[in-house]
Amino acid sequence: MRLVNVIASGIRALFTKRRTEREMEEELRGYMDAAIEHKLHSGAALEEAARQTRIEMGGMEALKEQVREVGWETRVEGFFQDLRFGLRMLRKNPSFTIVAVLALALGIGANTAMFSVIEAVLLRPLPYRHAGEIVRVSSTWQRNGTLTSYSSSPPDFFDWRDQSRSFSSMFAYHMNESALTGQGETKRFRAVMATAGIFSTLQAEPTLGREFSLEENRKGANHVVILSHALWQSAFAAAPDAIGKTILLDSEPYTIIGVMPSDFLFPLSGSDAFVPIGFDDKVMTQRGAHYLTVLGRLKSGVTLAQANDDLSSIMAQLRKLYPDKDGKWGVRAQLWSTAIVGDIRPALLVLLGAVGLVALIACANISNLLLARATVRHRELAMRRALGAARSRLIRQMLTEGLLLSLLAGAASLLLAHWALVSIVRFGPSDIPRLATVGLNAPVLIFTMSVSIACAMLFALIPALRSSAFDAAGLLRSSISPTREAGRLRGALLVAEVALSMMLLAGAGLLVRSFVGLSALSPGFDPKSVLTMTISVPDAHYKTSAALQTYWDQTLTQLRALPAVASVAAVTPLPLSGDDFSSSFNIEGGTVPEKDEPSAELRTATPDYFRSLAIPLRQGRVFTESDRLGAARVLLISESAARLFFPAGDAIGQKIHLGARGGYEKNQGEIVGVVGDVRHFGVDAPAPPTFYAPLAQSGLDSVTIVMRAYGTPVALTQPARKIVQAIDRDALVDEPVSMETLFSASLGQRRFYMMLLGGFAVLALVLAAVGLYGVISYSVAQRTQEVGIRVALGASAREVVALVMRQGLRLAAAGLAIGLVLSFLLKSVLKGLLVGVSAADPATLAITALLLLLVAVIASYLPARRAARVDPMVALRFD
Amino acid sequence: MPQKPNSVVQGTLDMLILKTLALEPMHGYGIGLRIEQISKGVFQVNAGSLFPAFRRLQRQGLINGEWRATENNRRAKYYLLTDAGRKQLKAEAREWQAQSAAIARILEATSGQL
Repeated sequence: MRLVNVIASGIRALFTKRRTEREMEEELRGYMDAAIEHKLHSGAALEEAARQTRIEMGGMEALKEQVREVGWETRVEGFFQDLRFGLRMLRKNPSFTIVAVLALALGIGANTAMFSVIEAVLLRPLPYRHAGEIVRVSSTWQRNGTLTSYSSSPPDFFDWRDQSRSFSSMFAYHMNESALTGQGETKRFRAVMATAGIFSTLQAEPTLGREFSLEENRKGANHVVILSHALWQSAFAAAPDAIGKTILLDSEPYTIIGVMPSDFLFPLSGSDAFVPIGFDDKVMTQRGAHYLTVLGRLKSGVTLAQANDDLSSIMAQLRKLYPDKDGKWGVRAQLWSTAIVGDIRPALLVLLGAVGLVALIACANISNLLLARATVRHRELAMRRALGAARSRLIRQMLTEGLLLSLLAGAASLLLAHWALVSIVRFGPSDIPRLATVGLNAPVLIFTMSVSIACAMLFALIPALRSSAFDAAGLLRSSISPTREAGRLRGALLVAEVALSMMLLAGAGLLVRSFVGLSALSPGFDPKSVLTMTISVPDAHYKTSAALQTYWDQTLTQLRALPAVASVAAVTPLPLSGDDFSSSFNIEGGTVPEKDEPSAELRTATPDYFRSLAIPLRQGRVFTESDRLGAARVLLISESAARLFFPAGDAIGQKIHLGARGGYEKNQGEIVGVVGDVRHFGVDAPAPPTFYAPLAQSGLDSVTIVMRAYGTPVALTQPARKIVQAIDRDALVDEPVSMETLFSASLGQRRFYMMLLGGFAVLALVLAAVGLYGVISYSVAQRTQEVGIRVALGASAREVVALVMRQGLRLAAAGLAIGLVLSFLLKSVLKGLLVGVSAADPATLAITALLLLLVAVIASYLPARRAARVDPMVALRFD
Repeated sequence: MPQKPNSVVQGTLDMLILKTLALEPMHGYGIGLRIEQISKGVFQVNAGSLFPAFRRLQRQGLINGEWRATENNRRAKYYLLTDAGRKQLKAEAREWQAQSAAIARILEATSGQL
């Protein structure tokens, strides 16, 4: 009831304000008259009675203000008043406003952009029903104390799926690319090869048609396909009668049994269709073939820890049953959302921290500007205080001004963030999931708004507290003179700015060094001047291995005849392409049963491959043209595989039988040579142990051509494509890519992190420089009189410059020292991002410190030079 | 009479004003004077406390303002207790008496009572 009264009367007061004011005036005057009259009755003289009453009542305006403060509506009104006043102040000082808004917008904009990335990549839920229940189950391998996740083998998957009790469903898949023919031009077709549980695990159903049945998981029965919505639209114009029709994948017929809804995307990078995986009878012997990605949905109420316990005990059993194949493998279940982002998450969080520091630096900058301005505004504030404004009222007003500034900057920052996001989408690495979906959406806007408000509180509070704390009467009397304390505060803020900038620059410097180091590492081959081009031919055209071989021979010969080509070879899968192929194998004469075979990577290549990519021969020989079908089968082995599997150094001459996963024929041969290691997965990953088989003895329908060019490799693109299509017009030719592009893309994430942190560090440097310049300029203006006296007394221009610069450099040096200490914190923060460089790298720290010092020298020299030009006569008259 | 008048105990000014108005409607200066007289000068209330309190009580609907002529035939704003104010006064007085009695008991306690 009382609350209702309070609210209602407040609203009423807003409308009857003028009358209320008039009545208050009259009432107070009445009170005063009554008081004086009362004192006259007690025998005081009129003069004395009036004086006493005035002392008792205090200032009339202050009293009124006290009464007004009682109602809440006054505070609302005050806020709008402050806003209007703040806007007027900002308009009156356009240069201050522009500098402050710009500096803040840079700081907030960087935060907005970074948060957008985090929102898209880390925070946004995955686009599946109850996505929080979906877990990725991976095989793990413990090496040098670090646990690494790998794909899983079919038998392991079956055992997990059938024995675990924590999952309502589980499925396994791998991606398969094939050629889609018979729908006009031959197209590359990306299919998810999955087991039957895929749709129940992802809780999605086809909008049209049906799901896979369990029987369709078997090889031979798996020629059915469920189309993605996009493919259904592009290839079948969304016709409902597409169901039951047949499409040709790698020349084999597949019956369309369903179409997925338009909002269904799996994997996150998208796919054209879903095909049952088609295991053959021997699948249970392939326990060493790790090529499946396993996803499961937790039963409701089951925790991740329980699921892990469940799986671990199953795996412990498997290790006992299959000591050679499963002996060293473990298992791990992770939330899928966590597994997807993997080590991207810590990197992005480090960047968010960095960008937060940039915002802090920007705030310190604005704080400094406001402190400088507050000394100029002292008289105004003192006057308001004397007229009865409470201190809290002044603080509120200054915070409102800060808020105004900050919200303006927040709005401007959206524009900057938009530009940043456009370039992030264009130049960001393709292997950060969902990076391309970043945008300024609602969560991002809320974040920007919150950051703006937080910034306003941060930068406006110190100046507001400081400049409202004074003795009003004293200040009105004295002229404007900044206190020593204000100077110290500004100095401290500046030192903090320099220290934080130092830390950011050092971090960026370390990433740059690490990146440069990695770029200089050899991947085990020479990527320069090499063009790669993946070709797939339809099986139907080449029924036998011999026919395929004739095709490849013809293609390679014609490409070799191109004038700009130095050498041509073929390989599959191509290093750094992201594809890989591993196979279990046994050594002839060994005693390991088939189900316990070890596994290694397998590459298929032509004789010129090693010369074309400059992979060195260590021992024996490489393939020759006579290693063909019908001749003795041969293999090459990589250095590290030779060391690992033949520690006695007797690799050459050993006979190897390569088992193979579903669909591939067995490969076997005698090791005839040892070649150098290739870092197939990128220079920042170790080179995997690898076997090489000759293409001429393998009969593959898809390989990657590598051509070493005399000039720029990209110039070969058109002529090479023409030749390939002239030989077989149904051949599917992927967009050719230079090996250097692949190499650079393999460092894409690292480059991305380096660019972002570098950008933030430069931003910090600029802000610190502006801050330093501002503080020194302001202090030069303050000391004009002093400088004038010094010049008049005979100080030379050089002495004046030295005097001013000493002040700036002292602050910068203090900041550098603190920043250097802070830089040691980087060690733990940047651990995962640095390769081959220590976090306390002295060279990086020294260069960073020198760079900052140089900027500090420039930022204090400019105002110092101005001080030296002071005309003493003008300076002495200056006030 | 003490040299320096005591300020009113925090939070009790509202109650004292309500009580004064319960005797008869009164204008601002009169209320202050009445509190001083009844308390025999122990409490002196200045305008800086009185007027915000009037505004507060009025906002809460406990008192009403009304312009009337004074005994000296001047116009002054008289304050009147509302029904809600009367109820509030009763509640606060009861609370106050309970509290002050309790405080008194504590202050008069001797070790024998423990």
